[in-house]
Amino acid sequence: MSQATTTVQAEHEHPPFLQHHFTGMQQQFDATKLGMWLFLVTEVLLFGGLFVGYGIMRAKHPEAFMAAHHHLNRTMGALNTIVLLVSSFTMVMGVWAAQTSRKRLLILFLVLTLLCAGTFLGVKFFEYQHKFEEGLLPGNFYTHQGDTVPGQFMFFSFYFMMTGLHGFHVVGGMCAITWLLIRAIRGDFSASYYGPVDLVGLYWHLVDLIWIYLFPLMYLIS
Amino acid sequence: MEHTAHQHPITGPKVYAAVLAALLVLTVITVTAAGVDFGPYNTVIALIIATIKASLVALFFMHLRHDKFDAIVFLGGVFFLAVFLIFTLFDINSRHTILPSNLKEPVKEFPGAPLNKPVQPSTGTAPVAVPGK
Repeated sequence: MSQATTTVQAEHEHPPFLQHHFTGMQQQFDATKLGMWLFLVTEVLLFGGLFVGYGIMRAKHPEAFMAAHHHLNRTMGALNTIVLLVSSFTMVMGVWAAQTSRKRLLILFLVLTLLCAGTFLGVKFFEYQHKFEEGLLPGNFYTHQGDTVPGQFMFFSFYFMMTGLHGFHVVGGMCAITWLLIRAIRGDFSASYYGPVDLVGLYWHLVDLIWIYLFPLMYLIS
Repeated sequence: MEHTAHQHPITGPKVYAAVLAALLVLTVITVTAAGVDFGPYNTVIALIIATIKASLVALFFMHLRHDKFDAIVFLGGVFFLAVFLIFTLFDINSRHTILPSNLKEPVKEFPGAPLNKPVQPSTGTAPVAVPGK
């Protein structure tokens, strides 16, 4: 069996990472990239539903959202924004390293991206911990005392659902980057084959893009 | 392997570093702008800055400036999100009350609110319409 496979590969002289149903590396790259963009569109619409819900509730209850957002730590939010922007930069530098066959730099940038993602989740952990202690929780679970403006639980419903879903995406991205890291160490990627690095990069930038909107909408209401 | 040459020149670290610097400056600007009172325009300004940042990420980090076809696909998704958002807000803003259609009068307590903190139903900023007919 393996002998037969080897023979077939030898006959066609396949590039090692070309799937048999594509005619060439460029076609494979373009097709998978389009697939990734279509997936990103579904992600935009997934978060879109939450953004629309947020828009409606904030338009209807501006005072509640205004009062509730003061419970968020603006410094931590800004710090996380910077961390995520830097991680996007290190990710795109990883793509560049793969495009130019710089294996060591690729590994370095992937590790840096993972570190940034870990920092983001660490800061998020402390923020969530603070909210749990204060009882600033969604809907029925909201037990914060001494509010002067009613309805603040609505803000925290959106806060936890949106940043929570975003957090899951960060975790998913970290898994994908770990997979890239293993393949990069194995030496899979070079100027002739860097598709997976590019595609995971696109996903990671989308996670960054969503945070770019979440940050002003959650932390900077005024 | 017929197309081993790249269709587009590879963007280098200098451009990426410049984009990162611009993104960080815009972050500082948006935080500063949030501290200044522009009345109702604060949210608009914050969203415009966010959109500039998002465009920078999409055009440079996601390479959309060299990738017309995927740019159209992505903007198609954004377009439908805009339709979703704008038409929903039109609908919501043209109503006095947001209530399930099977309710005959406004609820006195929001279903999700804790019992010790009564909350007005989602009646918006307009005065509550008399729920007739």
